[in-house]
Amino acid sequence: MSKPVLQIENLSKNYMLGKREVSALKNLNLTVNAGEFVAIMGPSGSGKTTLLNVIGCIDKPTSGQVLLDGIDVGKMPENQLYKIRRDKMGFVFQTFNLLPYLNARENVELPMEGKGKSKAEQRKRASELLAMVGLSGREGHRPQRLSAGEQQRVAIARALANNPAFILADEPTGNLDSQNKAEIIKLLANLNLSQGTTIIMVTHDSQAANHTERMLLLKDGKIVKEKAGLHLAKKNNKCPNCGSSVQRTDEVCPSCKKPIFQTEELFST
Amino acid sequence: MNQTLYNDINNSISGVAAVEPILQASEGSNETVSMFGRTFTRQLTSYTIEGIPLTSDLIDNYPVLSTNVTAGRNLEAGDSGVVLLSENNSAYFGVGVGDTVSILGQGFTVVGIHGTSSASDRLVLYMNLSDAQAVTNNTGYITSLRVFTQTSDLVTQVSTAISTLHPELTVTTGQERLTQLDSLQSTYNTALESAQASIGQTQTTALEEIIVVVAATSLIVLFVMLYTVRERTKEIGTLKAIGFSNSSVMGQFLLEGVLLSVIAGAVGIAIGTLAAPTLSALLLPSVNLFGVTGVRVASNVASTAVVSVNLEIVLLAFGASVALGALGSLYPAWRAAKIRPAEAMKYE
Repeated sequence: MSKPVLQIENLSKNYMLGKREVSALKNLNLTVNAGEFVAIMGPSGSGKTTLLNVIGCIDKPTSGQVLLDGIDVGKMPENQLYKIRRDKMGFVFQTFNLLPYLNARENVELPMEGKGKSKAEQRKRASELLAMVGLSGREGHRPQRLSAGEQQRVAIARALANNPAFILADEPTGNLDSQNKAEIIKLLANLNLSQGTTIIMVTHDSQAANHTERMLLLKDGKIVKEKAGLHLAKKNNKCPNCGSSVQRTDEVCPSCKKPIFQTEELFST
Repeated sequence: MNQTLYNDINNSISGVAAVEPILQASEGSNETVSMFGRTFTRQLTSYTIEGIPLTSDLIDNYPVLSTNVTAGRNLEAGDSGVVLLSENNSAYFGVGVGDTVSILGQGFTVVGIHGTSSASDRLVLYMNLSDAQAVTNNTGYITSLRVFTQTSDLVTQVSTAISTLHPELTVTTGQERLTQLDSLQSTYNTALESAQASIGQTQTTALEEIIVVVAATSLIVLFVMLYTVRERTKEIGTLKAIGFSNSSVMGQFLLEGVLLSVIAGAVGIAIGTLAAPTLSALLLPSVNLFGVTGVRVASNVASTAVVSVNLEIVLLAFGASVALGALGSLYPAWRAAKIRPAEAMKYE
């Protein structure tokens, strides 16, 4: 059994909103194992962003334990936390957040700065990662010369730069049209399959969430529902629609002729 | 005046110790100057001949000769056909000790050169009185008499006696000469003081301007950098989220501020170097020793007091700009370091 990269136990997070204390997370438990592709869903005010911030070492828990790759980050001071963010996780943002005056390769090199790698090593690694996300030959392009989908690919390559324990993606498809959305989800799914990349995706996009292997629904600061997604079936080489055996590379199920990537409303709210 | 006056005063007034008859004559040219649409003629004195009687009695007992001979020898009793030139004369005639100089068409041997002890004897060459009378065609005439009294308390009495005997003469006592000189001196001093005060005021103004400029520069850097940090909040948040430490973010912004200042400093020094001569003429006060407002005088002064750009000033200016850049970016850089990684998640 693969080891957990994220273990959250009895996590509570309270905010002071004026003089009123607001409870954003209430005794939340969550474990993500290495190699999983997880979606955290929930409506606005469900505590989604708070959970993302706690996992991303941006907010500290009020109580409870957060273990990242076995390290307790709950009580860690800021002058240590930046190293956790740099080494243990790779952030992917809704708005891509590439530095506009750096080209694709330089953007991917950014997290490697301060890791003691030579410039040549950084270049090599960046080029490999860009090739992995399907952008070889576009290393020298600045973000404004790349499409939105391409920018998000660069951001994913950047997230992978330091070989993190998991990718933490915040609405990675929120700023993309449907075609690019499918491309990015496919890319993340393929990275998960081929590289074993652990992905935690926070989203309110049920279509995108549908294509992960495990969907968690957050409501009022608690995980209220958990369901298997289409990706799990694909990982297990089974068609999610008819259950017959499929190849990983198949776009369409050979027996029921339905596309394996299909849209389906999971959580009817 | 007629030289016979000499005997008159020497013999008929009691208390007189000696009388030195002097003949002074100036040689020069006229120069025409056009100024403010009008034409002025001014006389330029090339040299002044001063003839003094070279008798051993006068030379040995009274201060009649120059006391500051810098080359050759002084005039001696009985000298004739020789001159003692001033340094200025020497340059004017282009002659030195031992040379023959032609004065009003007559040759004289230069026996010595005197250094000037006052502005008034700058152009004076000394020779025997009779030579001076001959060469200026003034035989038997003198221009002034210098009367030495037996004791200093007799000065007033003798001067009154001379005035009574010869009302047509202007009598000036040593005391009066001294007072005149004092007055002249004080005029110069006043002019000098006002010039110094003017320069001092310029320096104070310059200092005030420097303080204002320094403060303004720091504030501009501060506000520009604060604006930059604000504009780039999301970028900074991203850097923090992908693992940049507070100190490296702060360092980057400090570096950016300093680099901007280095560029600004280089540009400023280039402009300053090019513009300094023009600016100096505009900024320096028009120092005028004679209290006369004149464009000509002012421009002369400005051209001699050019604001020079030397290496020291350039380095100082450069260092100051870098230091101000660092100072001005300190707070913005600190603000940048404090930006939370959560800013990267904001969607606008």
